[in-house]
Amino acid sequence: MSETILALDGVSKTFNGKPAVRDVSFSVERGQITGFLGPNGAGKTTSLRMSLGILTPDRGTVSLFGGPPRPAALDRVGFLPEERGIYRKMKVIDVIVFFARLKGVAPAEARRRGLQMLEEFGLAEVAESKVKTLSKGMAQKVQIISTLVHEPEFIILDEPFSGLDPVNQYALEQVVRRQAEAGRTVLFSTHVMEHAERLCDKIVLIAKGRKAFDGTVAEALGQVPRRVTLEIVSDHDLSQVLAGKGEVHRETQGEQEVWIVDLGPGVDAQDILKACVDADVKLTRFEPVRAHLHDAFVHLVGREAAAPEAETV
Amino acid sequence: MRNIYLIARREFLSYVATWGFWLSLLSVPLFMALGFGMPILIENSQPTRYYVLVDETGGRLEEAVFEQIARSREDQAEQVREAAREMLGDNPQLGAAIDNSMQLDNDGYIRVEAGTTDLNELRPYLTGDAELETADGPQPLFAAIFLSEPVPGRVEMAYWSTNLTDRDLRRDIRDALRDYMHLRHLVENGVDPALIEAAEDLEPVVRELNPERTDEAAEVTESERLPIVMGVATAFGLWIVIFSVVNMLLTAMIEEKGNKVLEMMLASARHHEILTGKLLGVAAVSATLLIFWGGLASIGGLAIQQLMAAADIPAAEILAALFDPALLGPAIGYFIVGYLMYGAVFLAIGSLCETIQDAQTLMSPMMLVMMMPLFLVMMAIDAPDSPIVAIASWIPLWTPFIMLVRLPQDIGMIEIIGSTLGMVVTAMIVIWGAGVLFRMGALNQANQDTVKSWFQFGGKKKAAG
Repeated sequence: MSETILALDGVSKTFNGKPAVRDVSFSVERGQITGFLGPNGAGKTTSLRMSLGILTPDRGTVSLFGGPPRPAALDRVGFLPEERGIYRKMKVIDVIVFFARLKGVAPAEARRRGLQMLEEFGLAEVAESKVKTLSKGMAQKVQIISTLVHEPEFIILDEPFSGLDPVNQYALEQVVRRQAEAGRTVLFSTHVMEHAERLCDKIVLIAKGRKAFDGTVAEALGQVPRRVTLEIVSDHDLSQVLAGKGEVHRETQGEQEVWIVDLGPGVDAQDILKACVDADVKLTRFEPVRAHLHDAFVHLVGREAAAPEAETV
Repeated sequence: MRNIYLIARREFLSYVATWGFWLSLLSVPLFMALGFGMPILIENSQPTRYYVLVDETGGRLEEAVFEQIARSREDQAEQVREAAREMLGDNPQLGAAIDNSMQLDNDGYIRVEAGTTDLNELRPYLTGDAELETADGPQPLFAAIFLSEPVPGRVEMAYWSTNLTDRDLRRDIRDALRDYMHLRHLVENGVDPALIEAAEDLEPVVRELNPERTDEAAEVTESERLPIVMGVATAFGLWIVIFSVVNMLLTAMIEEKGNKVLEMMLASARHHEILTGKLLGVAAVSATLLIFWGGLASIGGLAIQQLMAAADIPAAEILAALFDPALLGPAIGYFIVGYLMYGAVFLAIGSLCETIQDAQTLMSPMMLVMMMPLFLVMMAIDAPDSPIVAIASWIPLWTPFIMLVRLPQDIGMIEIIGSTLGMVVTAMIVIWGAGVLFRMGALNQANQDTVKSWFQFGGKKKAAG
């Protein structure tokens, strides 16, 4: 039986009369990687801050490890905020030890773990350097180490991939996977759907402060109509050939006229191919289109809501 | 508590590792040494002045001048001895030291003979075109002074010198001539010189007595005034420490916000823990400074005590007056509350600002609030019972400074307890309010425009964040 690590129930928050989060409910189960998705300004950061008790909700309740987000519960959480920064004048290892000690790790153990993680992240040689001497990428790694050094049960990452180059984005994906494999629960927010699609067991979609979807990636993709794109050189009218198999229409893609088939319930791409062959249609292109989370997001919330908003917080 | 300790420790260590801290640590003893040493240095570095004095009356005025100068110096020495006696009691060694310091030759002006009394012949020496042979080798002439009495009763001094700033010699001789003229006038009008001398020595015996005490104990001594001096010194010291420490808090807060560390901290510690940790960390920095400076002062005090003991001076009495627990206890209390009050305000200001430039807008009114106690303390020294000072004592932001000066003086318990209570309650409200502002500022839900909008009475209020 799964254990709920974090639960938001009917949570709302308003700033200066402008609602940032409206009646949002979702939960994060132990051992899962949960993606918290939405465009900029959707209310992700505010929701995460409420999850940690940094902000108090105007309405609704937050439960972290079965209770309110109290300091003792925070010791079991590792949080990487969206606005990233660390003490620039401190030594790398001292920063890591400081954050570990804030989470209750003994000084010697904090130092041992810090040095070990620096080694793992390829930063062993800068352990005694001042943070201000590091490159941006290195400093971000140090902050990730500071987030994980106390071996938290629950890891919350707010837009962890923003500002990272593709190599470091990939490296961070590996870190998230390793943490999940070690049995830790991960919740991360992002507006880049590809990361969530690759990593998440579960996603929560949010737009304009409201939850739009809560379920697995497969369930989200299942919301998007499956589609096949066809190009033909014969004079067939595919709307008649494929009648009853879904919605068929023509559209122009570049200089090409293509047929688009949104598959009906119980119909798959093979059925379309078979119908075309049976009707002697001369096909030059047959392309079942794989849906992505972005399509699911747009489908669920509409194009307007999927567009980024000015950040309120 | 763990988080408060860790945050305070980090703050402390981050300051101790800076050059600014060490400069602050060493600056006070350095400036004190300079303060004591400079006058001596200036005196020693002043070149010896050589002058010629020509008495055209055949020596009558010259004799009178040097006699009057000697008498004047003796009067000054007696005044210093009297002040020292009041403060420290009778002491022959001290008296001898004062006499020695008041010697005539100590001024650095040496009279020389030029072999001529003609101004035209002296002029090249005065303008630096020629040098006069002296016991110290060839030297330029600083001044040539011609004394004459062309008409009986009309004494004249012609003072020739290219130096327009150093006027001590001119003043001394002019004063001596004036005194001589006064004396001669009285004598010529039949007054006995012995009578004049006796009249000059007449001094009232002044006893200052405290009506709260009786008999011998009623006499007020100078050492009893020391707590007041100590109170004033403590008030200024408190002001200087708070002023410098809150600026450290402000800049550290702005830097931390600029580094975007606060949100990471907030995931580990609560707002009040961060606020308290920072306040304590910087308080530890100021405590370190004070302990170091206090240590040096104690060493200096002990050395003085040793000297005074050797000279049979009641050092213990003086030190007891200076370190009276009735003053030290409240001083420490006022310092802590004052520091927390101002520190919390400046931390909140820092959390609202991204840069020092942002902070300056909010700092200006706070600076005015902080400057006022300086003027009020000066007023309280002479008039502790002035209505303005009494009212200002009740303004909680000023209470710590003004009450330190007023405490050693005779004020009512109601005033002491009432103003202190008001200050403590205000400090708690200020710290709570600063915590709220800090929380908003730390998460960028408020900035300096938010504070400005509170004061836009009747105008359009802007929403911040």
